[in-house]
Amino acid sequence: MIAVEGLTKVYGRRTALDHASFEVPKGEIFGFVGPNGAGKTTTLRILAALLEPTSGRAFVDGADVLQHPNLVHERLGYMPDFFGVYDQLTAVEYLDFYAACYRQPKARRQKIADDLLELVGLSDRRDQSVDTLSRGLKQRLCLARALVHDPAVLLLDEPASGLDPRARVEMREILKELQKMGKTIVISSHILPELTELCTMVGIIDQGRIRATGPVQDVIRQLTIGRRLRISVVGQREEAIAVLKPLPSIREAGMVNGAIEAAFEGDEATAASILQTLIAAGIKVSGFNQLDGGLEDAFLKATSENVG
Amino acid sequence: MRRIAVALWNPIVAKEYRSRMRTWRSPVAMTVYILLLGGLGWAIFSAMSASTHSAFNQGQAASFGQGLFIYLVLFQMVLLAFITPALTAGAISSERERQTIDLLFVTKLPSFSILWGKLLASMSFVLLLLLLSVPIFSLVFFFGGIELDQLAAAFLVTAVAALTLGIIGLACSTAFNRTLPATVAAYGGAFILLAGSLLFGLLFPTDIDPNATNAPAPPAVSYLSPVLPLVTIGTNAPVTWYGVRNSQGYGTSASCASPAYGPTTCVPLGPNGVPIGKGGLIRNPPQPSGTTIPSGLFSGWQYWQASVTMQLLVSLAALVLSALLLPPIRRLPWRKSPVSA
Repeated sequence: MIAVEGLTKVYGRRTALDHASFEVPKGEIFGFVGPNGAGKTTTLRILAALLEPTSGRAFVDGADVLQHPNLVHERLGYMPDFFGVYDQLTAVEYLDFYAACYRQPKARRQKIADDLLELVGLSDRRDQSVDTLSRGLKQRLCLARALVHDPAVLLLDEPASGLDPRARVEMREILKELQKMGKTIVISSHILPELTELCTMVGIIDQGRIRATGPVQDVIRQLTIGRRLRISVVGQREEAIAVLKPLPSIREAGMVNGAIEAAFEGDEATAASILQTLIAAGIKVSGFNQLDGGLEDAFLKATSENVG
Repeated sequence: MRRIAVALWNPIVAKEYRSRMRTWRSPVAMTVYILLLGGLGWAIFSAMSASTHSAFNQGQAASFGQGLFIYLVLFQMVLLAFITPALTAGAISSERERQTIDLLFVTKLPSFSILWGKLLASMSFVLLLLLLSVPIFSLVFFFGGIELDQLAAAFLVTAVAALTLGIIGLACSTAFNRTLPATVAAYGGAFILLAGSLLFGLLFPTDIDPNATNAPAPPAVSYLSPVLPLVTIGTNAPVTWYGVRNSQGYGTSASCASPAYGPTTCVPLGPNGVPIGKGGLIRNPPQPSGTTIPSGLFSGWQYWQASVTMQLLVSLAALVLSALLLPPIRRLPWRKSPVSA
């Protein structure tokens, strides 16, 4: 649905984007992760046909963003990281205006606006002036605006930034609802735990380069060297550590906050084998969990090589 | 046909109308405009009445009517020169400042429609002001001296000049990211159009050519200003007071001879009545007659026709420039497309 091929953007002497390439298949939620200034917004603006790349190509639903920007605009909804609203317009007029800009028939615009206001939970604010809405409500309204022409692809640049925790949860629920509707969503965010829960794919970008991309768990696995186990035992802690340490798959084992934590290398089968070994050694295991270092660890790993 | 209608009437126009008319600024601007114009009319009328102690005769009334008309059209032009750039100079730059321009660019509206919508919304307000001023101008007809076609021509010149100022403001708004420099540039453009082009005629007037068959006309650049045609429409008399240099004293004081056949020839005379110059007979320079331009690029045109034409050309150029500058990815003919990696 989205394809980026060798995208490069140079501003003067600064390379904002350096031969970035990735693909997002239809129906996926792609989390675009990177520190400030990594090139996320540049990539999204190129995909939205708002910025010309220095080299490389980008496609949205098969349409080249440079050759067919009008087709791209038809097929995607874009929500920038910073945006303003018009004063003197109510929420429903705001959506009606953008629906008209997307050439939606006049007869349908009222229904589109009402449906979208309901989707983003703003039905009770339909006649409120948009410039008096709170930041969170404006974010929701902007998301509704991006949907007025029912696009197949959504580009959301930091949609949860500046939102309180409750508003973030609500935004996440809306995005899940959109995924169920079959939308392909690209979302850039700094809030990594939320992305782990929400996204099916992730791309990590740093200093304009894509460091890793793929399904979330694959990227985490690829980047986090070794995985961690948290093991609770009934007594026998020293014995359990003594059993674990000689195992070839165990890199280290020790007590952390009253439970045993062990770093190991391997897959699910390796973890099962470790559990079997403990039980075979007569250790009474009451808890056995894999600690998910998650996207945060993967992100830190991917970006740490370039820090300092 | 529907395409043209869609292109002309786009959502931006409706949105701008809605936003503009919901603020207190528009009715206040309209009220102040009418008060200023009406106040000037009343002041001139009072001054004229005070200068005449007896009842007007027909000639005096017509002369007062002409005077009132000229003052009113010029003052209206000055008012619009202040109002129009303010209406359009922030049209695009304020969208950038407010961070709403990208949201428009990603819609199906082409860049030109955005420009057109902004322009139409602003110029509709100017047109509304012009219409509001019609009752004030109709007072001129009480005195006479001005015909309906003169009023129509003056309003056309004023409207086209306002349109030109509006498009120049729009071009400045497109070229500058911030509204303040765009506004300064737009007022600079308005000054050049209204006063600068007139000043050009004063600094670089047309020299009288003694061998010319037609009367000299002010330089064509000066027609850019709506002031010259507005005065010409009001006075309904040839322009003899501006833009022509009589540097060698031709025709001012001369000894002329009119043979039965051939042109009248004159010898220019000095202060003491002594012939000056290289001697010999020279042709008496022809004098302009009527309100048409006697010579030059627009020879035979009315001043207002030349002015409207030149302003429309400037408008077209500014509009094309705006359309080239506005899109986020500019498709300029001399620029190469980015290469594939």
